[in-house]
Amino acid sequence: MIEIIENGIQMVTTVVCTVIAFHRGLKSHKRAWFMLALASGVYFLGDVYWQLFLVIYGETPHISDIPYLSWYAGYLFLMLMMFEIRGERPSKKRRRILWIIPLFTVGMCIFYLQWGDWVSNIAAAILMSMLIGHAAGGLLAPRENPQKKWIYISILLFCAAEYAAWTISCFWMGDTILNPYFWFDTLLSLSFLLFPWALRKAVDE
Amino acid sequence: MNYIENIFVCLMAPLLIAVICMRGRGRRMMLFLLSGMAACLLSSYISTFIASAWGASLQTASLEISPLVEEIMKLFPVQFYLLIFEPGKEETTDACLMTAIGFATFENVCFLMRNGADHLLYLTIRGFGTGAMHVVCAYIIVIGILRLWDRDWLRSAGTVALLAIAITYHGIYNILVSQTGVAAYIGYLIPLFTVGLSFVFRKKLLPKSTE
Repeated sequence: MIEIIENGIQMVTTVVCTVIAFHRGLKSHKRAWFMLALASGVYFLGDVYWQLFLVIYGETPHISDIPYLSWYAGYLFLMLMMFEIRGERPSKKRRRILWIIPLFTVGMCIFYLQWGDWVSNIAAAILMSMLIGHAAGGLLAPRENPQKKWIYISILLFCAAEYAAWTISCFWMGDTILNPYFWFDTLLSLSFLLFPWALRKAVDE
Repeated sequence: MNYIENIFVCLMAPLLIAVICMRGRGRRMMLFLLSGMAACLLSSYISTFIASAWGASLQTASLEISPLVEEIMKLFPVQFYLLIFEPGKEETTDACLMTAIGFATFENVCFLMRNGADHLLYLTIRGFGTGAMHVVCAYIIVIGILRLWDRDWLRSAGTVALLAIAITYHGIYNILVSQTGVAAYIGYLIPLFTVGLSFVFRKKLLPKSTE
C-alpha cells in the first residue's frame, strides 16, 4: 500500500512539472523547457505503467523493463536539457576531480549487479555518469552564469536521491513507512517540483 | 489457429497492385501502408518467439513484450527511408503516419479474425482507439525527429528517448485494454483524447509543410 501511495506522490509531482514546463516552453519557445517537459512526462508514464501493474495485477512488471526504459529516457532528456542550458563548450578542459564520477557509478553498478540484471544496470550507470558529469561540470565551470547553479544542484540532488533509493532497495526492509527507500524516493519525487523553478532561473532570468 | 500470414497476403495483394499502378506520392503512401502491415506481421512473430523463449504467458507477452517489439519494428521502415532517401519534413511525417496506420489496420483485422465482428459499438471504439494509439506513437517520434534537435547525434539520442515514450504509452494502453469494462474504455479513450489534445497544439508542435 505504501508503495502505491508513494508512487502516487511521484505521479503528481511529475505531472505538475510536465504541465509547468510545457506551458513555459510554449510561451518562451526555449527548447530546455520542452526537454524538461519530456523528462518529467516520460518519468510520469513509467510511473503510470508501474502503478497500473501494481493495482491491477498486485505485482511489479518482471519480464521486460518498460518502466525502467522510460525512467532512463527521463535521464536522457535531463541530459539533453543540460546541453541546451550549457551550449557548446570546449572538450579540452575537463577537471580531474570529475573522474570520481565514473569510478563511483561503475563501482555502484558492480555492487547492484548482485541483484539486478546487467543490461539495465550498465545502462543506468552510463546515463547516470553522463548526467552527474554534466551537472557537476556545470557547477564547477569557472565562467558559468551563477543563475544556472540551481539547476545543476537540483539535478545532483535528484541523482543522489536516486542512488540512495537504489542502494537501500538492495536491503529491502518491507512495505512500511519506516523503510528509508520510500523517504528517498519521495525526495526524488519532490525534486521534480524544484526543476521548473531552477530552470526558470537558468534560462529565463 | 490464426493464419495471419494468409490474411497478410490477402490484404497485401490489392495494395501491391495499387503500388504498381500508382505514381509519385500516392505510390509512396501505399508502400508505407504495406510496410506498416508487414511490420505488424513481423512484430507478431518476434513477440511470440521472445515470449516462448522467456516462458512468458500470452497476457504477459501482450503487456510487456509486444509494446517494445511493435514500436521498434514500426520505426524501421521510416528509419530506412530517412537514412537512404533523406526526405523532407512533410514526406517524413506522411511516411511515419502511413506506417502507423498500416500497422493499426492489420492489427485490427487480426483482432476481428480472433474475436469476431458482432459488437459494432465496441469494435468502433476499439478501431478508433487502436488507430489513434498507433498514430500518437508515430507523432511522438516525428516531432522528435523533425522538430526538437538540429544536430545528428542529439537527434539520435533524442529519438531513442522518444521511442521509450512511445513504448511506455503503448504499454499503458495495452494494460488498460486487456481489462474489461470501464478500464478498457478508458484505455481506448486515452489515445483519442491525446489526438484531440495534439490538434490544439498542432501548429506549435509540428513543422510547417512548406519547410
